Amino acid sequence: MSGRTNGTRKDIKMFKFKMLAAVAAMFMLSACADQAAVPAGGATAVAPGSIADFRQNVGDRVFFDTDQSSLRPDARTTLTRQAEWLKRYGNYQITVEGHADERGTREYNLALGDRRATAVRQFLVAQGVPAARLKTISYGKERPEVVGSDDGSWSRNRRGVSALQ
Amino acid sequence: MPRPTSRFRFLVAACAVAATSVFGIAPARAQLTIDMTRPNFEPVPIAIADFAGSDRVGAEIAQIIRNNLQNSGLFRVIPPAAVIEKNVNANAVPRHADWRGIGASGLVVGQVTATPGGIKVDFRLWDVVVGQQATGLSLNTQSAQWRRVAHIFSDAIYKRVTGEEGYFDTRVAYVSETGPLNRRVKRIALMDQDGANNRYLTDGAGLALTPRFSPTLQEIVYMGYAEGPPRVYLQNVESNRRELLGNFPGMSFAPRFSPDGTKVAMSLSQDGNSSLYEMNVRGRSQRRLTNSPGIDTSPSYSADGTQIVFNSDRGGTQQLYVMGSGGGGEKRISFGDGRYATPVWSPRGDFIAFTKIAGGQFGIGVMRPDGSGERMLASGFLVEGPTWAPNGRVLMFFRQQPNAAGRAGAVSLHAIDITGRFERQVPTPTDASDPAWSPLIPQ
Amino acid sequence: MRLLASLFAFLIAVAPAHAQRLDPVQVEDRFQQLQQAITLLTGQIEQLQFRNQQLQQRLDKMQTDYEFRLEQLEKGGARPGGPAPGAAPTARPAAPPPQPGVAAAPPAAAPGGAAAEQVYHDAFKLLQDGDYAGAERGFRTFVQRNPQHVLAGNAQYWLGETFYARRDFQNALNAFAEGYKTYRASPKGPDNLLKLGITLSAMGRKQDSCAMFARFNQDYPRATDLQKRRVDQERQKNQCG
Repeated sequence: MSGRTNGTRKDIKMFKFKMLAAVAAMFMLSACADQAAVPAGGATAVAPGSIADFRQNVGDRVFFDTDQSSLRPDARTTLTRQAEWLKRYGNYQITVEGHADERGTREYNLALGDRRATAVRQFLVAQGVPAARLKTISYGKERPEVVGSDDGSWSRNRRGVSALQ
Repeated sequence: MPRPTSRFRFLVAACAVAATSVFGIAPARAQLTIDMTRPNFEPVPIAIADFAGSDRVGAEIAQIIRNNLQNSGLFRVIPPAAVIEKNVNANAVPRHADWRGIGASGLVVGQVTATPGGIKVDFRLWDVVVGQQATGLSLNTQSAQWRRVAHIFSDAIYKRVTGEEGYFDTRVAYVSETGPLNRRVKRIALMDQDGANNRYLTDGAGLALTPRFSPTLQEIVYMGYAEGPPRVYLQNVESNRRELLGNFPGMSFAPRFSPDGTKVAMSLSQDGNSSLYEMNVRGRSQRRLTNSPGIDTSPSYSADGTQIVFNSDRGGTQQLYVMGSGGGGEKRISFGDGRYATPVWSPRGDFIAFTKIAGGQFGIGVMRPDGSGERMLASGFLVEGPTWAPNGRVLMFFRQQPNAAGRAGAVSLHAIDITGRFERQVPTPTDASDPAWSPLIPQ
Repeated sequence: MRLLASLFAFLIAVAPAHAQRLDPVQVEDRFQQLQQAITLLTGQIEQLQFRNQQLQQRLDKMQTDYEFRLEQLEKGGARPGGPAPGAAPTARPAAPPPQPGVAAAPPAAAPGGAAAEQVYHDAFKLLQDGDYAGAERGFRTFVQRNPQHVLAGNAQYWLGETFYARRDFQNALNAFAEGYKTYRASPKGPDNLLKLGITLSAMGRKQDSCAMFARFNQDYPRATDLQKRRVDQERQKNQCG
């Protein structure tokens, strides 16, 4: 987790001066996805089917564009992987958390987080994860992942997180 | 469940004092009035002497009145050091020329006397320009209630000078914030309008957000995280007893009382779609108010209860809409550049306050209920969530500084008059957001 | 609106039919796309309705303005935006009954000249734009600085209108009353008296308004037919005896 966050920060710095923020975010995410899909040789071994496995090798979160709740292509890739994993390991309940960045009002962002969580849930259900295993909760802008007031932080905070229990 | 009215009985006596007739001067009040709706008024210079007759309480009451009036932006309080007459007798006629000499237009004197049941507090406001008493009040109450006495007197002075009702004898509920930004503890807190008597209504175990007062001040509604999805709770502020308001499968949020206190409008979410519902507080019956394929939230009733203004993104971006309070006849009223949110109808009915997001900045503004006459009062990196003082002439909202280097930016409450001229920070013990200003406390 | 309804109908009809053949993700996507299309249309309809309403208001204002100008032309004046040169505004409360007709006196020299007229026209423009507060300031300034100007009576009348438009009847009453008192012989005299009565009526002072209407034919025997008709309508509306 923390390693990935650091990588993210480095990536942001790397691309910051070269490309538009949105493009940078796309690259960054695909880089993360690649890392997760093909763990480097030095990565700590995690038990297949564990929560750590899900987070490291599948990716537990997807990101959204500003004020949007539609799933981007990179999010679909991650969620397809999530669905495969969740179907294989049927012993987990999933709470999908919807989050927003701080650039909206509190009440509206609660609704927006709810809409994002629902979009993730519906995608997973459509991919064959039983609906009974999935719950949603919105945290609006109340639980940012990255503390910062810049595009990089905001793009990391507009997220849907599949939390396993 | 003791109501403040039974605990706190006032004996209000009009102080028609001989002094008025001694000075048989024409009732001119040129200097001791102010028209706060004019953009270029001058604050009224006023001197407030420590109240006589009690060691500590008299001085404290005077200080509260000074703070209240100074903070309103409509008065310039003469520094106590310049108040030349100490321990003036509240029943004697002051030497008006002396007060004019130090630049005062008004003088407030008063005294505290012990009674078998508590204390009796009198005050007078002298118009030293014309040499007449402008107003006065006498209250009998329990000794512990002296702060409220000071607020009630402040309201009387404010009303006499501005012609508007005061707002000092009120409370503010807000969200107290502590801890790092990604693990913030958010609790509902309640305090007097000036920051005194701060206490917490929720324990901080789950996030608690968006407190709103019932018109009697006996209850608040807010959104809280406990088991399952976050929901709207109703809580008694005296007993702290709380209950779920309605039992819906999904999230319920953005509650607000109707002006008569019998209903609460709020958002319910179903399958990612948020719509407005109205809930009868006692009978718990409910009805749906909106049905659009978008987010409908932040409902606020008009002062007469016949209409509701709310926030919706049904047209692609967040805008403000007005409809009948039973639902239907929805009409968009905001058409400026940017996104509009958190509309709140003034208790006077003449304005709707809102948060506006445009050009990467947030702003607090007001418009007429038909959407015309939009005017921005405050702006910044993040300003949000206006709430009206009961006189409809002052707004409170919150301001957040940008987060920097992994550190959360400070969040604080601010008050501003509707000319936008005078903004000040409202002191709170912790970081604070989402204020809700109560109506005047029932006497 | 009908478009929206048909889109919904389409949604309902299409979604289940395709559900058997289509991947559920595609159905969901199609649903999202349609919803976004509806949202977009809703926003556009709202904008159009708003612009339509604004245009309607502007049109109404223009129409009022044209009627006013035509009226002036019918009366023989020709100055656009402002009425014809009128009577010397020497009438005072104690003055003899106003002379019938308005063409008797020669146009008073306009103190202030072009600059003054600019103030008047600017204020009139503000009035047309619906900026009543701005128009009020303009007309008030004009009347105060140029009480003898040929347009002073007009300015006084329009000053009243700025209040009336804002439903500030008390100030409207004061302005129209002042107009009647000071500029009775002005070309706007008849309109001024008519509006004085209408304002009184709006304030619920029916008797007073009837008294004003009763003075109309006496004061302004040569008023236009339109004005006379209007007075008759108002008399009926207020059930004046």
